[in-house]
Amino acid sequence: MAMDTAVSTGGVPVEAPSPEQPKRLASTWKRVIKNRLALVGLIIIGMQVIMAVFAPLITTYDPAVLDLSVKELPPGSKGHWLGTDEYGRDMWSRIVYGARISLVMGISSVALGLIGGVALGLLAGYYRWLDGLLMRVVDLMFAFPGILLAMLIIAMLGTSLVNVVIAISIWSIPSCARIVRGSVLSLKNREFVMALRSIGASDIRIMLKHILPNCTAPIIVFGTMRMATAILSTSALSFLGLGAQPPTPEWGAMIAAGRDFMWTSPHMTVIPGIAIMLVVFAFNVLGDGLRDALDPNMETR
Amino acid sequence: MQDQNSVLEVEGLGVRFRTEEGDVPAVQGASFSVQRGEVLCIVGESGCGKSITSLSVMGLLPDSAKAEGSIRFDGNDLLAMSQEEIRQIRGNEVSMIFQEPMTSLNPVFTVGFQVMEPLVIHRKLSKREAYEEAVRLLEQVGIPDPRKRMEQYPHELSGGMRQRVMIAIALSCQPKLLIADEPTTALDVTIQAQILDLILKLKEETGMGVVLITHDMGVVAETADRVVVMYAGKVVEEADAETLFQDPKHPYTKGLLRSMPSVDDETYALEPIPGKLPKPGEMPQGCPFHPRCDDAMDRCRVESPRVFTVGPGHTSRCWLGEEEKQNHAGKSVG
Repeated sequence: MAMDTAVSTGGVPVEAPSPEQPKRLASTWKRVIKNRLALVGLIIIGMQVIMAVFAPLITTYDPAVLDLSVKELPPGSKGHWLGTDEYGRDMWSRIVYGARISLVMGISSVALGLIGGVALGLLAGYYRWLDGLLMRVVDLMFAFPGILLAMLIIAMLGTSLVNVVIAISIWSIPSCARIVRGSVLSLKNREFVMALRSIGASDIRIMLKHILPNCTAPIIVFGTMRMATAILSTSALSFLGLGAQPPTPEWGAMIAAGRDFMWTSPHMTVIPGIAIMLVVFAFNVLGDGLRDALDPNMETR
Repeated sequence: MQDQNSVLEVEGLGVRFRTEEGDVPAVQGASFSVQRGEVLCIVGESGCGKSITSLSVMGLLPDSAKAEGSIRFDGNDLLAMSQEEIRQIRGNEVSMIFQEPMTSLNPVFTVGFQVMEPLVIHRKLSKREAYEEAVRLLEQVGIPDPRKRMEQYPHELSGGMRQRVMIAIALSCQPKLLIADEPTTALDVTIQAQILDLILKLKEETGMGVVLITHDMGVVAETADRVVVMYAGKVVEEADAETLFQDPKHPYTKGLLRSMPSVDDETYALEPIPGKLPKPGEMPQGCPFHPRCDDAMDRCRVESPRVFTVGPGHTSRCWLGEEEKQNHAGKSVG
């Protein structure tokens, strides 16, 4: 097969100078789009991104301003199509600004977690002598239930959204480290790594420039799935009162606040609940779709 | 044999692997040298330690392996060097090409990127200079349309082309020594000859020494100036190529030559060497080859043979060599 390509590209002009990378991106994209569930996920995430970016444009009320004259309006009321909460704050505004918070929280905690996890995973996978030590530390972190670990970290650092990001990212590190380590272990024994060493490339160069780009697929999938977990945990921690504090329109905090009005105004808990559910669902199915699309076994070599 | 002209001198090289069952020797007391502009072939079956020998020259042994003895490259002992010092030499003064051209290139980068890499690492060229130099290198190794190849990814090239790319990478810093570990084993027969010719041509042009590792006596016949035959981690015979083919002394070498197909002689019957290579750590007592040797004597089962010089520049690790020596001695006295 390799012979064929060499022969055919010898005579036939190739349309693009570097066809491989853009083509692969395009074909991955196509495969994700073809997967219906993943497409739904993508649309939901797209909506969340639009809500987050254009929040001031698509809302008419400030999410934190109280207006007791319109408190506890049900959805469908005039001027407040999603109703209002117990202080008369517009639910739609709060949900939209909440989308912004959950997206920022998700992205920042996943990004931080990936940085830590990728670094640990690369080191553990590449250096055998570090592997045992680092992986035992990771095992230790796995032994804690995630939310407990996060609560512990927040108890130490204090309650704030920034600390929630730190807590969730620390908790993301071990699973990310394991995934990366696994990929590195298999890549490390590939001949091209030996060949690189034989031309005198340094370990750092091999790790960052050559091995890391080869593990992008599992990292992307992990990151996407982890977004769901991170958003869910942010809401859970806020629900428990460890994250966002009352005036902040965070979805988990909104559910917590709405709890007392569950029987009289269920929309105060149901609407943010649906928002959380949709977003978590979206990231999960998109992650699944990406995993299928990036699966090297499905690639035609 | 200290020689001003030699690039590489390996003396008493031993490599041991630490395993759970204790140390397993993979190479024992290997000695050989490579001159400038010379092709030294290391021949032997798979697992006889020839690749380990080459990896220890490169300083690329796995962590579980320990090398002893001395490997002098250009007068400096490579085994005494720090990792950083040896890294400066790797790819710069000593280069290596591997068996599998299909997997020796990183699949996610273009050929050009990978050819430019050693130029950036060792020769500290700028991007643009490195690009031009890489094009020149690809041209030198006979790749048509090098500018287009620069932008292609490894999977778009055939095996022979990729091996050419690997050779271009290996030669990028004009090494004094090129180690080729079965460079043609994974290639089609027609491509094999091309690649060997290319290596020989480049050797002529640059005057580098070449260590060619192979199990194929045909490759040896075609390329070698000197030959080292290895068996079970030991050098069993060393001679210049002509002597080795005309007058092999060690029974193992004779066996290898008999198991080589001959096109010229139609009545020729292939004769495989019976038995198989003993595993390291399960070495029989005495000469490691005696269970497979037709000429094995009682002595071979107990006592491992020393190295005997059986001719000028021709050594054999076999008791038969001693006999012959005595015969010679007897003649000269009488």
